[in-house]
Amino acid sequence: MSTQSLAIPGQPLGPLSKHKPGPGTYVSSSQLFASIAGIQSVTSSDSGDASTVTISSAPIAATNVLPCVDAEVLARVTRITPRQATVAILVIGESVCADEFQGLIRVQDVRATEKDRVKIFESFRPGDIVRAQVISLGDQSNYYLSTASNKLGVIMATSEAGNAMYPTSWKEFKDPVTGQAEPRKVAKPF
Amino acid sequence: MPLDTSTYGLALLRLDGRRWNELRRIEAQISTQAAADGSSYLEMGNTKVICTVAGPTEGRRGAGAGGGSSVTTASGTEVKVEISVAGFSGVDRKKRARGDKRTAEMQTTIANAFASTLFTHLYPHSSIIITLQILSQDGALLAACINASTLALIDAGIPMADYTVACTAGSTSSYAANDESADPLLDLNGVEEQELPFLTVGTLGTTEKVSVLVMETRCQASRLESMLAVGVDGCKQVREILDAVVRSRGKKMLEDKIA
Repeated sequence: MSTQSLAIPGQPLGPLSKHKPGPGTYVSSSQLFASIAGIQSVTSSDSGDASTVTISSAPIAATNVLPCVDAEVLARVTRITPRQATVAILVIGESVCADEFQGLIRVQDVRATEKDRVKIFESFRPGDIVRAQVISLGDQSNYYLSTASNKLGVIMATSEAGNAMYPTSWKEFKDPVTGQAEPRKVAKPF
Repeated sequence: MPLDTSTYGLALLRLDGRRWNELRRIEAQISTQAAADGSSYLEMGNTKVICTVAGPTEGRRGAGAGGGSSVTTASGTEVKVEISVAGFSGVDRKKRARGDKRTAEMQTTIANAFASTLFTHLYPHSSIIITLQILSQDGALLAACINASTLALIDAGIPMADYTVACTAGSTSSYAANDESADPLLDLNGVEEQELPFLTVGTLGTTEKVSVLVMETRCQASRLESMLAVGVDGCKQVREILDAVVRSRGKKMLEDKIA
């Protein structure tokens, strides 16, 4: 049998004659007390004499997904240099990350063709939301990402004027207010 | 001179409109910083404190540098407390030096208090570091620090015998005024603390076991007993409030586990 309730430090849990102390509890003057805040569970032993009280403080909602090779991720561009774009990975597959991971899109991974003519600043700008694929777990601090596919690239971008833009071709976004076009590596809409 | 003798004598109301046995508003949050092992934010009136707990981690020998006061228990567990006071926290902008004596004493007091109530024997030769940031001070600084530390330690899941809760108690009449009919006061604010004698008392949970008692001002011995009684009673009220904070957090934990 197992019942679930909440216990907080110092809370009396019953006399020692009825219960045995488990993890997260302590005994003081033949009385059982909780020593941590957590979920209290009482498990009766098979021999049938005394049940054991344990308290576990399970970390809350530790559904932390990690990027893996070939996973499709959504990331926000945080910084660009002529050689690479640094991004913060926000979503992996279908699940939203608890905290963001740093990723890197190198200039040779931006598109599949004419790789040597790619310019990072004509492909990404800080603040863009990019759909990308993890190609390698990378070095100590970065995951290496690639946008070398039609369906990968920038999916949301804001113009220099600060307006949300819409894609007009595979390499251009357009500002609906100013009419200004900006170059990007555009992801093919579904 | 006592700041409120005239009005207090008439209506028995203090400067901020409280009666003698009323606490100020206490608000607290638990798990405020995701990166820390345990964290909390506590407001007692206008005193605001952030606390983070790191540990228990592997103890580093000879890592005593870097400020803070530490107490090492019999099992070799180091409980270290670091307090930093923000420059903007007081009425006038004043930078407290790192080795400030008042800060050092608070650190030692808190470290001693928790070294005795935490089950440090479960974590031999490791260190538990409590970091306190004081954002705003308006009386009961030590009490706020102790309460915030308790919450953060609970959040970190470090086993302890019971909550250590603290509050202050004072007396309506200063030492010099040889006033026989001095009333005890609960939870002094910053202005009252400057004028009146007060003590900080910390107790273990619902029991009346005093684990912390600090008095920096002079007071007539005959008044001490009533001050202490009021302080211990105040601690019980504080405990109820902290309890509610932990329980609301725990409720979320239960819901998350079911979901």
